[in-house]
Amino acid sequence: MEPGGSSGVGSGNSGTYTPEIAESLRFEEEIQSLIHQSFDGSSAAGGSFTALLGLPANQAVELLHHPGPGEPPASAASSSPTAGDLWRLRLGEHHAATDALRLPFGGSSTFVERAARFSVFATDDSPASSSGGGLSPGLKAEPPDSDSPPTLPAPAGRPRRPSKRKECEKSKAKAVAKKSKSAEENTSAAKPAAEENTSGDKLPYVHVRARRGQATDSHSLAERARREKINARMKLLQDLVPGCSKITGTALVLDEIINHVQSLQRQVEFLSMKLAAVNPRIDFSGLDHILSAECGPLAVGSGCGGGASGTAMWASDTAASTGGIRRMPPPQQIWHLDLVHPQQSSTVWENNGAAHPHFLLSPAISLVGYDPAGSVPLNSNQLKMEL
Amino acid sequence: MISASSSSASSSRKKKMKQAESKWRTAAQERIYRRRLLEALRATASGAGPRAVKEAADSALALTARGQSQWSRAILLGRCRPRRKLLLKAGGKVRRGRRRPRPAAPVPVAAAAPAPAGKKVRDRLRVLGRLVPGCRQLSAPNLLEEAADYVAALEMQVKAMRALADALSAASLNAAAAGEAESNVV
Repeated sequence: MEPGGSSGVGSGNSGTYTPEIAESLRFEEEIQSLIHQSFDGSSAAGGSFTALLGLPANQAVELLHHPGPGEPPASAASSSPTAGDLWRLRLGEHHAATDALRLPFGGSSTFVERAARFSVFATDDSPASSSGGGLSPGLKAEPPDSDSPPTLPAPAGRPRRPSKRKECEKSKAKAVAKKSKSAEENTSAAKPAAEENTSGDKLPYVHVRARRGQATDSHSLAERARREKINARMKLLQDLVPGCSKITGTALVLDEIINHVQSLQRQVEFLSMKLAAVNPRIDFSGLDHILSAECGPLAVGSGCGGGASGTAMWASDTAASTGGIRRMPPPQQIWHLDLVHPQQSSTVWENNGAAHPHFLLSPAISLVGYDPAGSVPLNSNQLKMEL
Repeated sequence: MISASSSSASSSRKKKMKQAESKWRTAAQERIYRRRLLEALRATASGAGPRAVKEAADSALALTARGQSQWSRAILLGRCRPRRKLLLKAGGKVRRGRRRPRPAAPVPVAAAAPAPAGKKVRDRLRVLGRLVPGCRQLSAPNLLEEAADYVAALEMQVKAMRALADALSAASLNAAAAGEAESNVV
């Protein structure tokens, strides 16, 4: 393709393609300039000619058939760089494109012809040659193939506007009895997206379409719904198990899940062994009344506030009771220090001075059945360092 | 307990999914479990062995699940001595309260999974059913849901037990060291 600056709005359809190709490029530039200039707001929604000029054929078609509030100009603008590709993609649908474009622009047939020709010539040469000749008669005599316009925007616009296109597509598709081959593959491609929508959003249409050659009885529909449920649960599991999102295929994912469950169970066993090893040295009678006291104050505090409220309670406790009854949630505190609030623990130690380490330590010491009286300061320092 | 996550207005399936994860990740749940774990540990005879500890931990975990999941019910009911009668009674009562009672156990896996119908997948699903306690005769979507809940619960259990073990061992080490130092000093 030569980048062309050839002049002349050629209307003659000569045998050579170079002037037309150059013109197509110029046309694209026109489109892009138009888009960048005048495509800020609702010009698309207005359905004006210049607005439609700015869109590639398929989007224009969609707008015409379903004039919703602005196919967002952003999407149109984003698609404009790929306008050239889109032109090329529309192999079989240029007929419908021109047909649709014909509808409002009864008078501007020249533009329509030009647009049609450009779409044609952007594609392969051989089909272009044959279809180029037959295009102008095809323009008027084309039977309204209402199936292809909906499918036109379907694959291109699918990632952007699933719900809107789905409505458009379904409304069209329901009317048409026969489906052509290209329409079929488009609809089958768009159907999973459409079905996702039915299960996900609340859309006015709940028609479920069956592919060509598939039964529409309740069995297959229910089957499909069940399959979707299973897939949804599998996705949830995949998120839960680390490292499963990259794996494709149900069997491998299930493998990973099984491995993960087994490893977790093994860890539990190992930890229980460790706990059993520590257990004989623990004086559970000490744990007893500590826990019973712990249940009260703990009921108040929530997760994060546990530490803070706990300190307040300790302060009140030191005021209320003597050091005889230790109303601390000691294992809790230790765990909090370990995992959740390491900084908070240090500040707590600083603030409460000597009383706090005493309280902190006493349960630990009582756990191992030691007399806390003598060894408090020493142990407090050690625990502070370790925890 | 789970109020925040379960009060969403979306479909029931989404609610269940949200519950599976967020239910076990909250700190409140963890604290509840830790308390139950300590109680259970206290209840075990000291020097009874690691298996008793593991059973105690699992029972505590199942208790924290409040009997809303199949595996938790299976664990709890499995521990009861008078198994048969209590199983039927408690199982029936709980189930009727929570879910639709299933008159007959469905055919394992095969009836509900046409898409993951490969032989490998079905084998894997059966293995998974064996791993999760009490979920052998479960259909595929339910099994997957139970597995998700079970995995989340197991992770929380591991976290809590590891913390407890570390804290206890640190405390005991400290006390031992302090004790030695003291005896040396004295």
